[in-house]
Amino acid sequence: MTAHVLPPAPPVQRPRVLVVGAAFAAAASFMVFIGLIGIYLAARVDIINAGAKWLPEGSKIPLQQPNTMFITLIMSVVTMQWAVAAIAKNDRVNAYLALGLTLMLGVATIIMTTYLWTLMKLDIASGLQGVLIYTITGAHIVMLVVAMLFVALMALRALGGQFTARQHDGITAAALYWYAMVAVYALIWISIYVTK
Amino acid sequence: MALTDTRPETGTDARAVAPSVVPSPLTIFGSGDHKAVGTFYVLAALIFGVAGWVATALSSAHEIGSGTFLSSMAARQLGQTSQVGLILLVIVPLFLGLATYIVPLQVGASTVAFPRAAAAAMWTWLLGSGVFIVASFIDGGFGGDRTKSVSLTVLSLGGIIVALLLGTVCVLTTAITLRTPGMTLDRVPMFTFSMLVGGAIWMLTLPVMLANLLLIWVDLRYGGATVFGEASLQFGQVSWLAHEPQIYAFLVPGLGIVADIVATLTGARLAHRNVLLFAVGAFGVLSVGAWAQNAMYPNFADDLLWQAMSVVAVLPILLLLGGVATAMKSGKPSLKSPLGLAVISLLLTLLGVVAGALLAITPLELRSTNAFANGQFILVLGAALAAGAAGIGYWGPKMTGGLCVDAIGKLNVLVLLGGGALGGLSLCVLGFTTRFNGLADAYDALLVVSVAGSVLLALGSLLVILGLLSGAHKSAPEAGANPWGTGQTLEWACASPPPTGNFADLAVVRSPEPLLDEEA
Repeated sequence: MTAHVLPPAPPVQRPRVLVVGAAFAAAASFMVFIGLIGIYLAARVDIINAGAKWLPEGSKIPLQQPNTMFITLIMSVVTMQWAVAAIAKNDRVNAYLALGLTLMLGVATIIMTTYLWTLMKLDIASGLQGVLIYTITGAHIVMLVVAMLFVALMALRALGGQFTARQHDGITAAALYWYAMVAVYALIWISIYVTK
Repeated sequence: MALTDTRPETGTDARAVAPSVVPSPLTIFGSGDHKAVGTFYVLAALIFGVAGWVATALSSAHEIGSGTFLSSMAARQLGQTSQVGLILLVIVPLFLGLATYIVPLQVGASTVAFPRAAAAAMWTWLLGSGVFIVASFIDGGFGGDRTKSVSLTVLSLGGIIVALLLGTVCVLTTAITLRTPGMTLDRVPMFTFSMLVGGAIWMLTLPVMLANLLLIWVDLRYGGATVFGEASLQFGQVSWLAHEPQIYAFLVPGLGIVADIVATLTGARLAHRNVLLFAVGAFGVLSVGAWAQNAMYPNFADDLLWQAMSVVAVLPILLLLGGVATAMKSGKPSLKSPLGLAVISLLLTLLGVVAGALLAITPLELRSTNAFANGQFILVLGAALAAGAAGIGYWGPKMTGGLCVDAIGKLNVLVLLGGGALGGLSLCVLGFTTRFNGLADAYDALLVVSVAGSVLLALGSLLVILGLLSGAHKSAPEAGANPWGTGQTLEWACASPPPTGNFADLAVVRSPEPLLDEEA
């Protein structure tokens, strides 16, 4: 069988496969939280409309730790963007530094979340509230860990010299997923920690 | 006796060296080739399909007479498990498998994006499906007595959804980034476009299902199993997947398959292509149903949005029907089985969306029992299965390298039309019992018809596998690159089955039908 003879190809524009894939993954992860928080808000409205308080007796959510985490994550956005800008200028030292700082801020957020869990005095088996709050904050930790693994992997690839000013899709993709994770935290912050 | 009867140099049959439709275990387990991954999805989904339709038939058969065929618990679990299973183990992977195989070819790419992720997704899906089936057998259906089994079911469904989403990311990324030069988004073939639309809707809605499952699982394992994990409340949180309008999201890729087949087998360029693209997109938008959750929002059916979406969903299908009719009239339809299957798929789709519109009309009281909604489910999934069968008949020669036996496909036109119409319409008629008392006498007879329809759909799934295998058989005539002779899109420009890397040269595209431009 003769194949069709096709015209000669122009130079290929390199597709940004990893960035687009990461964008889809970020969108899907974001939708998990839209679903969770939607259910959370619906359940809370039902309880408050029935005249009861949302949080069970004896449980409380302090604001200091959530605020600290929010500021930490906003700082991590700055360091992440710093890494993207540095690698785009072939400035490797700054890129490594910024990626390392981003990971450190991620670890700090995990520690703060677990500390907040001890402060809340909320039993997961106590009912609706416990299941919802622990599922949502726990799922966010999972997303944070995935984002940290993504960043760490890309940092290792950068150490291996795979990214340059011309080709730094990996770092951009990891940054995209990281920003989605921070956006999810913003949603959690306003809908769980601030409004109760 | 010589070692070979003919000299090796004369053995020029390409298929002797090319991978057959069922690759050897070694190539299967290690392969990141989108063609092997896609084939495996399709075959496994069809085998699950046979089981799924038989399970549907059994749960309907239980209703006949005094309802003592199964225990009521087993019948309920079987009905719910088969609904979820037919979506996540059969229809979604069937389309995803076809897309993993065909979309890279249609856009002129050498591979799917993230080939190893695509392979990992397929294996995770297969593993999850196996666990789901085992867990269902050990009383793990929704509302089952054994908490650990139910946790396993929920966990396996979570894994299945993550895997299917990962596979979808690979296909969507391929369609977005790996298109050959000149192929703008409005020039992509209809199947690729419908997969973009359907896949995007899956990406936005299936994660919400994951959120539901997560809450059920956490409550079962760590909470008191009193809220989300409470046995009687479990299925209400996930049933939206099998209901209008979300059920339409699993049909979207089928619309593109139908349009591609009609274009090729009538030999004419699709007229008003942009209108058809719009219709597919609109149907996709109208199928976002993650918000209509029975457990969180019991009165969603009284919501004007839900009723409007249900009624308006008929319009894009009418547009597509108009497009198909125009193509039939202006072109020369060749009476091959994929065209027949495409037409019955569209017919069942129309019945499904009309039934959906009726369901939304409150005075008809069709929502007071489950019968009508179950009938609509069978119509819509029957339409999706017919579209999948049409796609496999159409791309089968490309996948196997041999011409499939068309008689099997033609028989399947009757089987799937009969199965979908009998299985679905009989239950829809049953839905009118609250309005017409006389129907109560026909209750058992209608259920028997519905059982027969589901059995026919199981048979149809089996016939699709047979058709595909007939193309892979040694005696099948060689298909060649363009077996239909009128292929319009790039997948018909490479050999059948496509070699590793698919295309020797990068194609440059100047219209939605590059192969017709070649001839002109």
